[in-house]
Amino acid sequence: MSDVAHDTPVSHHDEHESTGIDNRKLGMWVFLSSEFMFFGALIATYLLYSNRGGFEGTYPSEIYDIPFTSVSSFVLLMSSLTRVLAHNALSKGDQNGTRTWLFATAALGAVFLGGQVFEFTEFVTKYDMTLSSNPAASAFYLLTGFHGTHVAIGVIMLLSLWGISRRRGGLSEKQGMSLELVGLYWHFVDIIWIVIFTVVYLLSVPPA
Amino acid sequence: MTTEHDTHPSPAQYWKIAALLAVLTVFEVAMFYIDRELGLGGLNALILISLALLKFVIVVGWYMHLRFENAIPSRFFTAGAILAVGLYLVVLSAMGVVVIRG
Repeated sequence: MSDVAHDTPVSHHDEHESTGIDNRKLGMWVFLSSEFMFFGALIATYLLYSNRGGFEGTYPSEIYDIPFTSVSSFVLLMSSLTRVLAHNALSKGDQNGTRTWLFATAALGAVFLGGQVFEFTEFVTKYDMTLSSNPAASAFYLLTGFHGTHVAIGVIMLLSLWGISRRRGGLSEKQGMSLELVGLYWHFVDIIWIVIFTVVYLLSVPPA
Repeated sequence: MTTEHDTHPSPAQYWKIAALLAVLTVFEVAMFYIDRELGLGGLNALILISLALLKFVIVVGWYMHLRFENAIPSRFFTAGAILAVGLYLVVLSAMGVVVIRG
């Protein structure tokens, strides 16, 4: 309990480096910048194969459930709101509020993941579209699966912070920086989904 | 000393931003169905990509607080995004998926 600053606003800007920004935070920004390459490759691969005809099996663009995916997208988007509210609560020293919003963020992330599991299950059982059905299906599962993995890692990190906060009665200043770093990661996962939702789902063109 | 409370948006502003993001998402989905009926083609793609870009910028600027940070993370992040988009646009145009008109 001793390392928790009760009822005192938490400032994350004390540890400035020569760059004027905390090294851990700068490291996270650089890491996220490199993640553009990673997801860029997966999105480009999907675009390359998404409507290339001549292969057997069901194509993802033929079976998308847009209303369902729209709700999933909305859920993930709102998890970004709850994350910033957790950050805001911590900066005001409101440890209960921080815990509540942290849990809400993790819960919304889990709902999104549940939706993805449901979507994959439907595609496999109802439409017989598996990872090896055709290159478009492989690219689709690879892209959305890797994104889902990122969300799952984010949920684990959020729940870890929530657990630490519950156990120790609140987050310390050092853990406040961890919340900020996890937050950056979480919002990045959200913006990648914004791109995937538009490029992969809404702009999908079935094969000729 | 400047604290986060002075520079970062308030909870009320965060809710307003979330409402704007929700409206933009509804508009995106509506465009999908409008395109199905009217066959807007390239115009639909332009509108949807613009809406996604707007949502992207709002989340990065306000929720990731990039507009409140100093220039270094902004430069890193923007450079990564531009490099990735540029590289894969070239790859996709070379493969004939994206046509870039000069």
